[in-house]
Amino acid sequence: MSYVIKRLLSMTFTLILISIITFVITNILPGDVAIMIMGTQSNPEALANLRENLGLNDTLFVQYGNWVLGILQGDLGTSLLFKMPIGPLLLQKITSSALIVALSMSVALLLAIPLGVWAAVHKNRWQDNFSSSVSIIGVSLPDFFWGIMLILIFARALGWFPSSGFVHPNEDIFLAIKHAFLPSLALGLGLMAHLTRMTRATMTGILSQEFIRVARAKGLKEKVVVWQYGLSSAIGPVITVAGLQTGYLFGSIIVMESLFNYTGMGWLTYQALLNRDIPLIQATVFSIAAAVMLINLLIDLLYPILDPRVRLS
Amino acid sequence: MTFIKKFINFKGLIGTSLVVLAVGTAIIAPLVIPLDYATNMDMRARLSPPTLDHIFGTDQLGRDLFYRVMLGARTSISIAVSAVLLSLIIGLSMGLISGFFRGTVDNILMRLVDTLLSFPALLLALTISAVLGPNFINTILAIGIAFTPYLARLIRGEALRVSQMPYVEAARSAGANNIRIIVGHILPNITPVIIVQFTISLAFAILAEAGLSFLGLGTQPPEASWGLMIQASRDYLDRCRQKDFRSPQWQRRGALAAK
Repeated sequence: MSYVIKRLLSMTFTLILISIITFVITNILPGDVAIMIMGTQSNPEALANLRENLGLNDTLFVQYGNWVLGILQGDLGTSLLFKMPIGPLLLQKITSSALIVALSMSVALLLAIPLGVWAAVHKNRWQDNFSSSVSIIGVSLPDFFWGIMLILIFARALGWFPSSGFVHPNEDIFLAIKHAFLPSLALGLGLMAHLTRMTRATMTGILSQEFIRVARAKGLKEKVVVWQYGLSSAIGPVITVAGLQTGYLFGSIIVMESLFNYTGMGWLTYQALLNRDIPLIQATVFSIAAAVMLINLLIDLLYPILDPRVRLS
Repeated sequence: MTFIKKFINFKGLIGTSLVVLAVGTAIIAPLVIPLDYATNMDMRARLSPPTLDHIFGTDQLGRDLFYRVMLGARTSISIAVSAVLLSLIIGLSMGLISGFFRGTVDNILMRLVDTLLSFPALLLALTISAVLGPNFINTILAIGIAFTPYLARLIRGEALRVSQMPYVEAARSAGANNIRIIVGHILPNITPVIIVQFTISLAFAILAEAGLSFLGLGTQPPEASWGLMIQASRDYLDRCRQKDFRSPQWQRRGALAAK
């Protein structure tokens, strides 16, 4: 229990650091937010007024303090681009992106684990070469290449899935999945590569251990030995890597959601960056970093449940 | 004999030749190909499939894609190499200081690195590039900074391991000062790890550059870059299937296999 408390404390500290870094990065921007809102032709008095109202005349330190106080009260400011409060906007986009993240992680794991185990069982034979070629091709190509190819095949040629757009999961979960499927598949194919290699490496190590030999010696079927005895010991590290990959995934959704016009967090971030919407950039960057950190924390805490040999300390 | 056997390793051979091909193209192409070959617009042959005149076909403005891919190699590779070098310089100094001196410095630096690791590399690079204004130099800066925490983390671990070795202790008791120990004893012993990580990062940097340019926040239009070309061709997919998609893959595969 004390471990959990310690982790939570250090998480708070990291959150503060994340907010500082976000604020610093977005404030090296040359340019004036007030001019961006009102245009370059507006009169100086109105500009000065607006600056005063936005608190742009305060020192950076005070501005940062106000921003953090806002976050604590659930107020993330107002988007310059969408002209609406950021909080509700973000909340709506997070659910649609959560769907993509969950789907692509499932795609990646469902492909990577069998492929990795298969390669480990047939080590150094054609199955192994096949699986490593598949994973090299997977990492070699940028995610958006897969995206474009999937649009060509499944949307344009076969017409099975929509090539762009999105439906909120609350409206129609089936349609929502249909819209999220192609981007998730593209992301999953990119993620799969690392996970396959990880699964293969861990499984190879485990299959050469004594308890596997004992399991075989007492006459258990090969299927049981590999999938039950082997995989349950190998799953821990694989899940940890999968957790680390979510960070990468949160970066990739920016590209993928923009490609598919899927209006989630990634798309929102991209719009904010393109239009230099500072409050929105701050909010999206901060929440993505916080989400990555939380997921990693969650995985660390869940690890002992997956692998009972590990104790938290 | 064993050396030769190792050298003739099939995968290694493919990898090496691909890397030589890509890097060679990047260096030689701009010297040999007149610059206007890549910008000449042949309006009658817009979006043409590969022909004898245009081996890779042409793009939406009738520019020859074979030349553009070759010239784009320089942009993509030079951005990737400079970005990784930048992150190596910062990451190496952070990692060495952290791992060697330990204590408070280590705590502070690694906290910072851990926090930076919460930002997805692509997000960090995109944000920095958008904030500074996208161009050639800022793309390098953005990717370089985004990659730094990974290198710093790795090098710190290695430095920590090596600095506990008996030979470091021996050097210290022989009166060597800190700088001498770091440069003369620790650095040479962590070089292999650095080289491996350098090649891996290079491949990721090429992909990151492609991603940044694809979103319009990397290299800007008149220049030829692989990501930018894919982005530009995206709208014409229905009309022309032959694109310059293959190159990043070859690049990446080469870098991986060479390792």
